Amino acid sequence: MGITRTPTSLTQSSATRGGIGESTLRPDGTLKVTGEFAYSSDLWHEDMLWGYTLRSTVAHAAIVSIDTSEALATSGVYAVLTYDDLPTEVKHYGLEIRDTPVLAHGKVRHHGEPVALVAADHPETARRAAAKIRVEYDALPVITDEASATAPDAVLVHEGRDDHHIGHVPHPNIVHRQPIVRGDADRAAERADVVVSGEYVFGMQDQAFLGPESGLAVPAEDGGVDLYVATQWLHSDLRQIAPVLGLPERKVRMTLSGVGGAFGGREDLSMQIHGCLLALRTGKPVKIVYNRFESFFGHVHRHPARLWYEHGATRNGKLTHVRCRIVLDGGAYASASPAVVGNAASLSIGPYVVEDVDIEALALYTNNPPCGAMRGFGAVQACFAYEAQMDKVAAELGMDPVEFRQVNAMEQGTVMPTGQTVDSPAPVAELLRRVKSRPLPPERQWETTEGADVRALPGGLSNTTHGEGVVRGVGYAVGIKNVGFSEGFDDYSTARVRMQVINGEPVATVHTAMAEVGQGGVTVHAQIARSELGVTQVTIQPADTQVGSAGSTSASRQTYMTGGAVKNTCEAVREKVLDLGRRRFGSYHPAWATAELLLEGGKVVTDGGEALADIADVLEDDVVDLELEFRHRPTQAFDLRTGQGNGHVQYSFAAHRAVVEVDTELGLVKVVELACAQDVGKALNPLSVVGQIQGGTTQGLGVAVMEEIVVDPKTALVRNPSFTDYLIPTILDTPTIPVDVLELADEHAPYGLRGIGEAPTLSSTPAVLAAIRQATGLELNRTPVRPEHLTGS
Amino acid sequence: MKPFAYRRADDVAAAVALLSQDRHAVFLGGGTNLVDHLRLGVATPDTLVDVSRLPLDRIEELPGGGLRVGATVRNSDLAADPLVRQRYPVLSQALLSGASGQLRNAATTAGNLLQRTRCVYFQDVTTACNKRDPGSGCSALGGYQRYHAILGASPECTATHPSDMAVAMAALDAVVQVVGPDGERAVPIGDFHRLPGDRPHHDTVLGHGDLVTAVDLPPLPETVRSRYRKVRDRASYAFALVSVAAALDVRDGVVADVRIALGGVAHKPWRASLAEQELRGAPATEDSFRRAAEAELAAAQPVDGNAFKVPLARNTLVATLRELTGGTPR
Ligand SMILES: Cc1cc2nc3c(=O)[nH]c(=O)nc-3n(C[C@H](O)[C@H](O)[C@H](O)COP(=O)(O)OP(=O)(O)OC[C@H]3O[C@@H](n4cnc5c(N)ncnc54)[C@H](O)[C@@H]3O)c2cc1C
Repeated sequence: MGITRTPTSLTQSSATRGGIGESTLRPDGTLKVTGEFAYSSDLWHEDMLWGYTLRSTVAHAAIVSIDTSEALATSGVYAVLTYDDLPTEVKHYGLEIRDTPVLAHGKVRHHGEPVALVAADHPETARRAAAKIRVEYDALPVITDEASATAPDAVLVHEGRDDHHIGHVPHPNIVHRQPIVRGDADRAAERADVVVSGEYVFGMQDQAFLGPESGLAVPAEDGGVDLYVATQWLHSDLRQIAPVLGLPERKVRMTLSGVGGAFGGREDLSMQIHGCLLALRTGKPVKIVYNRFESFFGHVHRHPARLWYEHGATRNGKLTHVRCRIVLDGGAYASASPAVVGNAASLSIGPYVVEDVDIEALALYTNNPPCGAMRGFGAVQACFAYEAQMDKVAAELGMDPVEFRQVNAMEQGTVMPTGQTVDSPAPVAELLRRVKSRPLPPERQWETTEGADVRALPGGLSNTTHGEGVVRGVGYAVGIKNVGFSEGFDDYSTARVRMQVINGEPVATVHTAMAEVGQGGVTVHAQIARSELGVTQVTIQPADTQVGSAGSTSASRQTYMTGGAVKNTCEAVREKVLDLGRRRFGSYHPAWATAELLLEGGKVVTDGGEALADIADVLEDDVVDLELEFRHRPTQAFDLRTGQGNGHVQYSFAAHRAVVEVDTELGLVKVVELACAQDVGKALNPLSVVGQIQGGTTQGLGVAVMEEIVVDPKTALVRNPSFTDYLIPTILDTPTIPVDVLELADEHAPYGLRGIGEAPTLSSTPAVLAAIRQATGLELNRTPVRPEHLTGS
Repeated sequence: MKPFAYRRADDVAAAVALLSQDRHAVFLGGGTNLVDHLRLGVATPDTLVDVSRLPLDRIEELPGGGLRVGATVRNSDLAADPLVRQRYPVLSQALLSGASGQLRNAATTAGNLLQRTRCVYFQDVTTACNKRDPGSGCSALGGYQRYHAILGASPECTATHPSDMAVAMAALDAVVQVVGPDGERAVPIGDFHRLPGDRPHHDTVLGHGDLVTAVDLPPLPETVRSRYRKVRDRASYAFALVSVAAALDVRDGVVADVRIALGGVAHKPWRASLAEQELRGAPATEDSFRRAAEAELAAAQPVDGNAFKVPLARNTLVATLRELTGGTPR
């Protein structure tokens, strides 16, 4: 390809379309709403087998024997595997602590634990063969709460722990414990004019993603395996899978398949190792798809928690001290529990200035379902409790709850209980001001000329009240969430960016291992590449393990981290392109040597807007191709005794105002409006930002008024593993969610952006609770609030 | 799912005959409940006899002002029928408060009447359940009982009947038309569903091969107003915690006639005859309504997990009756 125009004939550049700051549409959007998007459950391979997982029907029992003979003899069955069939010495996996057996060994620790695997030529054959596996159990005492877990004679959920937390926990049934002590809470308490305490209970929430766990493992000729799977973090999966299979990581090639939501529930492994084991054993492709029932056992949930708080304040509304104790139920395996503890402890007092604190957070090992990552983890449970406390203290002081929060609100420069200084904007008071200053939705919106519109009333289509007995309440809450992986974790993302000319046009190809789980990451990556490289055409390659790790799609981190990596790599690619340009055309125009150069609208332009060359002409047949890692600022572990340390990278803040209407007679709640204000640093895609905020808000609403996995306290069996029994909000339960977006740049982050996905999940729940409390006058110290807590109030 | 044969019956006689020949065959209506049970392993029939396309899909007027609702009339069609909406608003409201639009389009009248309990233990084949597996025990006793019965339960079973439609039909004194191996019979709705007693695996009085062909709705006097109220955990698409179907005839401030059925409280739609007795001839006031509700619920035997249903049922009943005496048209 030669030069088509002399560079000097070019004049003005045109801005690149579809770059950052625009609400470009998602490439997967139309496919998803029209039902054409291929999810991992749609994977198919000629001649494939179906895998099925036999799971424990009891929560805690010794396995006396497993008899697979009848299952193996079933026609159509290719393999039946138990713990004894695992091929290597590595038989456990885990995100941080490798405490989870690939298949149960010696005992089962929770309801639904995988015990055996079957591969057969039909899913039903596999299921029926699994039903013929005879497992003899010998019941063990069931540990379900702190008392039973930490009794001196308690049965240990895990014998012989050798993980790095065992040295500092007071009991082997405690996964991790993080105290934070700063100042002197006892002395500060003496200054308090009012002291308010409370105990709060947060129920177990499910991620309730719509696409069940699924994947396809295909054995390869080199003895390795190709795994197509819906996950949140390919490389973390890979690190856990390969050793169990006895394969080097390069022989386990993973490709992200269509992910139907995640919310943290796919950070741990589900079918990955199982599918690979069956594929390698049978030499055939093996697909595993959970159904909804199994999915409830196939992933971790949000930690249920018990929280004790004591707040003190002076008469003029200044907080004196906070004491709290947060007990999280981690269930049978560690999963993300240590990080959940770290978040709960370090964010336990909320976005407020309190110099004297005495904090303790811990996670238990019990025989309840394993709990781990879910949107906002640790911070969500704490926010529910500290915001309830803030209302109580305000009431005690006779102060307006918003004003009381504003008086104590943190700001840039505030020192956290961990000793870390908040070094970017923290507009807590402003966020509260914004939600408060919004006009309230009109009263009695259900009234129409044709009578009451029941959809606008508590009870909805159940056609209950027509307005009688309906009381309005308004509640506020604000929360703080950390962004990215904290506590010294080496958190990085990799991006590979290639630039070349195709059909006369410059095209950028972006390749990362980022799991697109519906959050819109791929949309944003293309926007970043357009902005940085001045191209229109960007190809996003499928995420796989042929490129370096992108870290997890969690902790609100992907736009910051993998977005940051794409930006970084694009910048390096741009430099290479400019170098090429200088070599080819430097002599045509002095600006090549002297000006700040950019790529914009397919051209090389000066910062003054003068176009110097077409990118296509600069590149000719050259391909610029780079793969680079991007890291955020390093963090530190929290001191195990004092909790001090610069543990977090960035904080994210959101505030909500909830307006509810309660039918006090029947105990029904209508959330009329849930207004949110959030600082996002920089909205790379404003539409996506609003979508994330509305989604997080709704998930917070769900846990406020309906969502809870019910675990039988005596048997630790899960009682509602279905969407008829585990309720999530329908669109009719979802209120109007006006969103107010602030963009106060964090100078440490790419584009000044702030991770946004989790913060709105925090304050939504306590805002709704506060509004219901205001409407009913009830104390309501537990989520979810349901008719039985309200009826007759 | 256990494999099964699928047969479609062309007429009522053939359907009944197909079942009579095969002890392990069952009727299939819209399949919205049965197919779930097949998948969960709760139902393990050898043969499904599809009766959803039998010519029983009409709503006909009966002499005297009643209606005959064919067994295969879809829930959405029944709810939308102008005569039903005019004469039995309680029934229309009950139907519309149940399930979802898509489900109601598929579900049939007979299937709705015969849907089985949502008790979590009944639906979880790994647990003991006398209804699913007679003699195996009841896991709900001492287990998770939020949705369970406060009236008429037995030591063998505390499950509740989940249908909204059936509660309205109970209040309307509907009559179920059945064709069985021994011919036709009519079963008053009050006798149709059973209390669990020591045979909780029998939801109804139907025997094997009994086909529901229609439900007759007797006429309601012009002056009767009727209403369905349902309390549930979210604004749509959830089963009742408690529901009330009530038809009330008030003349000169005095209750001339009243029929009340409660849902979500018992193994069957619960006809509240004690409340009705209390109300007949009483002034139509809040006080009477409360006394009536309390009379009915005096026999309630709640447990920890479902004690809230007693005040909730009382409040719902009072609110429904109050509304029926208010100014809104029927
Ligand atoms: C997610 C979900 C939510 C729901 N929510 C509600 C709710 O809120 N309220 C509510 O009331 N219901 C609810 N339902 C239940 C729904 O109403 C029933 O599933 C439906 O009415 C059953 O009708 P069907 O025709 O599909 O029955 P099928 O599933 O076909 O059959 C049900 C039973 O009836 C038997 N049967 C069918 N036809 C005949 C016949 N003619 N004679 C004899 N036996 C027969 C079958 O053998 C089977 O035992 C819900 C269901 C689902 C799946």
